[in-house]
Amino acid sequence: MRKFLSIPTLTAAILALLPSWALAAGPKAADLVVVADTRVLESGVMKYFANLYNENILLFAVWAVVLTAVMGSVLGVLMDVIMKSTGLDLTKRKILEH
Amino acid sequence: MGEMSWLYMYMPIAGVHILWPGLVLIGFSVGVIGGFFGMGGAWMVTPGLNILGFPMAFAIGTDIAHIAGKSMISTMRHSKFGNVDYKLGITMLVGTMVGIEIGAQLVMMLERIGLVGSVVRWVYVVFLALIAWMVFYDFYKATQKRKKGDVGEHGATGIEWYKTLHKWKIPPMMHFHASGFTCSAWVPIIVSTATGILAGFLGIGGGLLRMPALIYLVGCPTHIAVGTDLFEVMISGLYGAFTYTLKGRIELVAVFVMLTGAAIGAQIGTVATKYAKGYGIRVAFGLAVLCCMVSIILKQYGFSAAAAVVILSAISLICLWIMKIMFVGAAQELRDKKAGLSQA
Amino acid sequence: MKRIVALAMALALGMLLAAAAHAAEVVQGKCLGFDQAAKTIVVEEYDINFSSDFKYGHPTGIQSTFNVTEAKIGIQPEPGDILRIAYNVQGTDKKALKVMNVTKQDLRKK
Repeated sequence: MRKFLSIPTLTAAILALLPSWALAAGPKAADLVVVADTRVLESGVMKYFANLYNENILLFAVWAVVLTAVMGSVLGVLMDVIMKSTGLDLTKRKILEH
Repeated sequence: MGEMSWLYMYMPIAGVHILWPGLVLIGFSVGVIGGFFGMGGAWMVTPGLNILGFPMAFAIGTDIAHIAGKSMISTMRHSKFGNVDYKLGITMLVGTMVGIEIGAQLVMMLERIGLVGSVVRWVYVVFLALIAWMVFYDFYKATQKRKKGDVGEHGATGIEWYKTLHKWKIPPMMHFHASGFTCSAWVPIIVSTATGILAGFLGIGGGLLRMPALIYLVGCPTHIAVGTDLFEVMISGLYGAFTYTLKGRIELVAVFVMLTGAAIGAQIGTVATKYAKGYGIRVAFGLAVLCCMVSIILKQYGFSAAAAVVILSAISLICLWIMKIMFVGAAQELRDKKAGLSQA
Repeated sequence: MKRIVALAMALALGMLLAAAAHAAEVVQGKCLGFDQAAKTIVVEEYDINFSSDFKYGHPTGIQSTFNVTEAKIGIQPEPGDILRIAYNVQGTDKKALKVMNVTKQDLRKK
């Protein structure tokens, strides 16, 4: 039986190990705070986002998600147009069970 | 850095200089490989970013955000093929999101005690070994079966643990029409929570684990598993991007660089699935996973340059193979089409 | 889908306008003192001429005091540590938002 190797079992094993690693590392635990160095940035967009990172991380997070989603969709639509122009039939395909 | 400095790009938040052609290559390859196998391919991005010089927590956050954007592209493609089981996807969603948050919290905890780099690297080594084993074992079993001429309803499939799991009768029972099976809702929920934790912890879309889990534990046909997994990755990846950004561990510039490469790569990879036959490419995939594993170990012991060479060449090679499948297949289709038109 | 994207973009644009009002300043330099009772940190500012011998910049001799009452502080700053502080100027007060201990959390090693 190889079921003992299943993914949930491994996950549980790792989760069980983590607290012991934490204890072994002792009391030096402190949050790591990162400040983006806006002094060295010249471009306005970069400066805006780096500053937002320092000042309003929630807004930065909303921006990150929105921009990622928008960029993904735009690229998706764009690529779709390009692929359509190749003339390949992408609506149906042979069912290929490997 | 000297004269080579134009090859390096400044990451404004993490404050590191990164080899940008490496970023583009990783993004492009992850698109090709992810589009082809339906696995986010992120198993190479987190280690790859870390090897290129990102601090581990930034590598994870950046990876998960780029995966969200990339999967939007692939999901669009797959929903066109009708490969997404939306009912199954939505059932799994809550489990995935809870899992991702748990995983992200674990990463932050490890960062506080200064162990995030080595722990995540070793967990990666274990999981890449597991995935390589699954790929090769599956290949071995299928070869054995094919020799005996035994072809089941799923074709020459390998592992079939889902047959046992489908016997669970814990309510609520659900029927998944697109995938064509009935099982307890707890099977996909448990699978999605477990894969969610790993997704959040390793900074992957989870396709690496959810895809085999969907096929082997839940019992989806391969093409439905690919599409449904991408849908899952898209929604959960956006949540992962949000929570990692709130924790301050993301580099947006790198996300966009990789996303552009991935958009082009994903087309090639997804279209190539149309022409792919047989197990050969899966064996190559297994080998690429092993190479990635070796490069992580090299990085752990301080051989960063060697690690970068191993991982970048392994993903380039498998990428070239998939591109060959795509271009040969597409050329053939277009030729056939032309021949058909001239006859008519 | 298009409607969702349009809505998201409108939302983002609204917030962009709301937040573009001012920008926080950043300073990097050597910690001279951390008064935990008064909640202040004194820093000698460094410039941004980085080099291999001066990877955190050159000392400028300018000393600034930051009010860290509301700041998010990472690893405890000690005199001699290189700190990077994001702050807002309110009247004569420099109110810190975040304090990063550059020396003790060298991210490049993770």
